Amino acid sequence: MTVLNRLDWYNIARDTNWTPTYVSDKDLFPEELTCAFGLPAEAFEEYDEPYKTTYPEYVKVQREKDAGAYSVKAALERSKMYENASPGWLSVLKLHFGAIARGEYSASSAECRMVRFGRAPGMRNMATFGMMDEIRHSQIQLFFPHQYVSKDRQFDWAFKSYDTNEWAMIAARHFFDDMMVTRGAVGVGMMLTFAFETGFTNMQFLGLAADAAEAGDWSFSSLISSIQTDESRHAQIGGPLVQILVKNGKKAEAQKMVDISIWRAWKLFSILTGPVMDYYTPLEHRKQSFKEFMQEWIVGQFERSLLELGLDKPWFWDDFLREIDEQHHGMHLGVWFWRPTVWWDPAAGVSPAERQWLEEKYPGWNDTWGHCWDVITENALEGNMAKTLPETLPVVCNMCQLPINYTPGPKWTMRDFPLTHAGRDYHFCSEGCRWVFEQEPSRYKDHQSLVDRFLDGQIQPPDLGGALKFMGLSPGEMGDDALKFAWVEEVRADRIKKAS
Amino acid sequence: MSDVEILKPLKTWSHLAARRRKPSEYEIVSVNLQYNDRPGSAAPYELDPNVFMNRWYVEHRNNSPLKHKDWNSFRDPDELIYRTYCLMQDGQETYVYSLFDQFSAREHDKALTPQWAGTLARLYTPSRYLLHTVQMASAYLAQMAPASTIENCASFQAMDSFRWLSHVAYRTKELEGSFADKGFGKDERHYWEQDAAWQGFRELMEKTLVAYDWAECFVALNLVAKPAIEEGMLRLLGNVGRRNGDLVMSLLADAELIDATRHRRWVAALVKLALETDGNADVIRGWIAKWTPLADAAIDAYASAISESQSAADAAKQATATFRASLGL
Repeated sequence: MTVLNRLDWYNIARDTNWTPTYVSDKDLFPEELTCAFGLPAEAFEEYDEPYKTTYPEYVKVQREKDAGAYSVKAALERSKMYENASPGWLSVLKLHFGAIARGEYSASSAECRMVRFGRAPGMRNMATFGMMDEIRHSQIQLFFPHQYVSKDRQFDWAFKSYDTNEWAMIAARHFFDDMMVTRGAVGVGMMLTFAFETGFTNMQFLGLAADAAEAGDWSFSSLISSIQTDESRHAQIGGPLVQILVKNGKKAEAQKMVDISIWRAWKLFSILTGPVMDYYTPLEHRKQSFKEFMQEWIVGQFERSLLELGLDKPWFWDDFLREIDEQHHGMHLGVWFWRPTVWWDPAAGVSPAERQWLEEKYPGWNDTWGHCWDVITENALEGNMAKTLPETLPVVCNMCQLPINYTPGPKWTMRDFPLTHAGRDYHFCSEGCRWVFEQEPSRYKDHQSLVDRFLDGQIQPPDLGGALKFMGLSPGEMGDDALKFAWVEEVRADRIKKAS
Repeated sequence: MSDVEILKPLKTWSHLAARRRKPSEYEIVSVNLQYNDRPGSAAPYELDPNVFMNRWYVEHRNNSPLKHKDWNSFRDPDELIYRTYCLMQDGQETYVYSLFDQFSAREHDKALTPQWAGTLARLYTPSRYLLHTVQMASAYLAQMAPASTIENCASFQAMDSFRWLSHVAYRTKELEGSFADKGFGKDERHYWEQDAAWQGFRELMEKTLVAYDWAECFVALNLVAKPAIEEGMLRLLGNVGRRNGDLVMSLLADAELIDATRHRRWVAALVKLALETDGNADVIRGWIAKWTPLADAAIDAYASAISESQSAADAAKQATATFRASLGL
């Protein structure tokens, strides 16, 4: 072979910065689109991406990955996975695809921001692959669920969700839009690739892949493992930026961007991933609890990479460690109770055996969340189904857009974190969300939460029915208990057994 | 509640279900993917409507002088999706790298004259800067495009530009090995920033990069600048290279022009769609009139450096004009 080694020419392909003279540097790289904190281009020329790949390597490897993922899907098309899957598992799929697929497409636009406005050529080239990766992730995560649309109308939401004002989608857009598409290139690199992708997507893609394999859904398992191999490559766009910012006296700015992203990602994951891992996935298929995953991936691995790159632990770390024990239980209870307002069927996940597991993984669960589920269970046992359903909307946070909730029971610490800014009152779920707002109120101040829209008269009639219409949910799409309350019968049988 | 219709499962996404035919894989995974154009939403993105990026999208995308009631009806004539892009380009790269391999094995570069090597050092290898500007501009077009089907074409075009740039980097290293005294791998930035041959293209692309209206960016880049680069540099290099015994240059240019021809197919389809709206033809013609002098000057400057006769420049300019004339403007 007389073909050059890629390292022979790699550096030439990333030596493409030049000094513009026909337009000003400021016009070519406006600060709002570049987010360079006033640092000159030269400061970014030290950028050295840790994961090096070339165009021919990229198309070859990606072709092979696609061949793998699509062939697993094709081979399993006639399998009875769908028919045999537990209803809870199908809810995992519906929630995942709806919340993720088109968000990935938006991430491709964010990668484009880095291709155009990144100041380091290596960053621009890596983001070119990132842009392609995210097109892949949106397309493949639409193609896979499309096979289910003819079986269940809720799968239409794998596509439709992002076009709606469904409350969880308002929350998802608010988070993703804040981290990805409304930031300058360095902001995207720090907040999307470094904080979010290095930290959190592992959770969704590796954690869920493990559960999927356990649940026998090989098609989904191979799909999301394949996606994660791309994520772990382009997530590395952010690391060298952290080092450049720290070195050039911009550590505080870097730290703030990372902190904002971690806090916001945590909030979204507490509703997106927490309930899925600890309640929807059938008990016998759970690899680890959500908390255990969080401790391994975020607390263990991500905390280390923060410190290694010269940043500190976020100021809210203690609050965060406390929340990973608690927050997602409340989110789950809320989603289940307000189930007509989501496009999947939440699995309650509180049969006697499941409650035992929850108590084991989260000591004290029965004394707190368990009491709320006791009331729901009693109502269901007595056939008072109306009492298991909502009549109003919950109060949502003006940052994360998620229901404000705290741990019930003896340690009840419910509180609101209010703020009055420029004559308007805001309500936040936590110090973290209020802090994010305070860092840059102009990004958020005139946004309307679902409750703001309700009070503004945009939801008509002003009741749950009007809200469902506003959210684009019709009968056939609206969620219900995944097991149609079969778990209540388990409780009944358990009681009869104990009584006899 | 008995009169409430319960929605039944459909055969495809609800947004595609109204039509009678079965959607293709391309349509299932490519159409209407953007959500920043939701009817009735307060702003493109779910934040304060007045945050910088919301204003940027309203100004440079929504309020562009080029109007269409449904940009999402655009379809890529090649119906490329990610999967088929990688499949296709892996095959194309296998071809190109086999060329590199074969010609290297028979010591192709050693047979080139020092004079031609000097021409390559001055007029070919600095093109990585130019191709990188096309990569950047295409990525801008992608992030601002008003439909995912357009965004995908622009994204693949950015990736193709990186492909061409990568070929240049590869050849730069090879040529450096054969001609250590010609400045390969060292002088490119100087030529790109200082040599008269490149200044037209540099001015054209620096200005294209700040054409922030999405549609003006499209016209400047895809109707004017890219055709000028492809005809006035790439094809010319291939032709002059062949006459100088440089078959690698010639065959490489041919291979890359396959991508360029594909780009022109989607560009023609987008112009055709735009022309459905009254007034758009004038908008496009206005931008062409604004940008073409820069592109023609760029071709003249470059071609006069590489070819002794004016006819090469004229032919290249004519080819770009012929392409534009084919668009029904």
